[in-house]
Amino acid sequence: MSIVTRSIAIADREARYLNPGELNAINEYFTQGSDRLRIATILMANERYIVERGSQRFWQRCPVTPSNSGNPIYRASCQRDQSWYVRLVSYAVIVGDITPIEKIGVKGGKEMYNSLGVPLRNVVECMSCLKEVALDLLSLDDAAEVAPYFDYIIQGLTPQ
Amino acid sequence: MQDAITSLINASDVQGRYLDNAGVEKLRAYFQSGELRSRAATTISANSSSIVTQAVAKSLMYTDITAPGGNMYTCRRYAACIRDLDYFLRYATYAMLAGDPSILDERILNGLRETYNSLGVPIGGTIRAIQAMKEVTADLVGAEAGKEMGVYFDYICSGLS
Repeated sequence: MSIVTRSIAIADREARYLNPGELNAINEYFTQGSDRLRIATILMANERYIVERGSQRFWQRCPVTPSNSGNPIYRASCQRDQSWYVRLVSYAVIVGDITPIEKIGVKGGKEMYNSLGVPLRNVVECMSCLKEVALDLLSLDDAAEVAPYFDYIIQGLTPQ
Repeated sequence: MQDAITSLINASDVQGRYLDNAGVEKLRAYFQSGELRSRAATTISANSSSIVTQAVAKSLMYTDITAPGGNMYTCRRYAACIRDLDYFLRYATYAMLAGDPSILDERILNGLRETYNSLGVPIGGTIRAIQAMKEVTADLVGAEAGKEMGVYFDYICSGLS
């Protein structure tokens, strides 16, 4: 949910117009919009690279994992999921909020991987590798914008 | 409820795709028009009651509808009418800010025509009043923002008729 929708929903619950504070915050979000789009475009353009390099790094760190077992289906689904998470991060950067990641990729994520027999520790390690590769592509400021979204995935999938 | 951003993202996610170039350009335009939108929302919220007053004066006040037997005759009905116009203005402002009409469907238009028909509220008069609001608002916020607000006023009208 973007700050625009969220502020409207709050104002609507109280049957009022948005107050100057809310409008200022929205305006600030609008001003950062082109930066957000620029960062998201970098992620989109480098998705293949991030997933390829991320996988290599992941298999070095966790050699014993289904996707590295020689089974091509496991391998393909692992990389497909990685590219999904990069996509979700690109959405979240544009919206400026974790909701897309939360709704699509984190709620139920642990349960899903558990039931698939994929070790959660390894999934989390894999996400860290994606994060490292992705952040290396970005300037320091841009990386600071993107990092929290990867951290949110890592936090959401870390087993208790 | 959606806005210009979330509606594009939801549509891409269903197909498992990144935003395409057209989507990125659309969002760029939305962000660029952001200041215009928030400024218009500020102006409208500061002048909402006078917008409604002027729109009623322009469209309904001196017609049969306020005379005995008309649907705005009796203060209670008059009050209900301006309350509804107030709602329309507020929700059109929300939708303009969001750059997306979905909130109008969700909060205003679903079942509205049926409600009005059963209450005997004339749809034609309602649409005249909304069109008058569109003109009054455009005079107030300027042509560019007025055009954007017009999109959502028209959306309400077409949902009613």
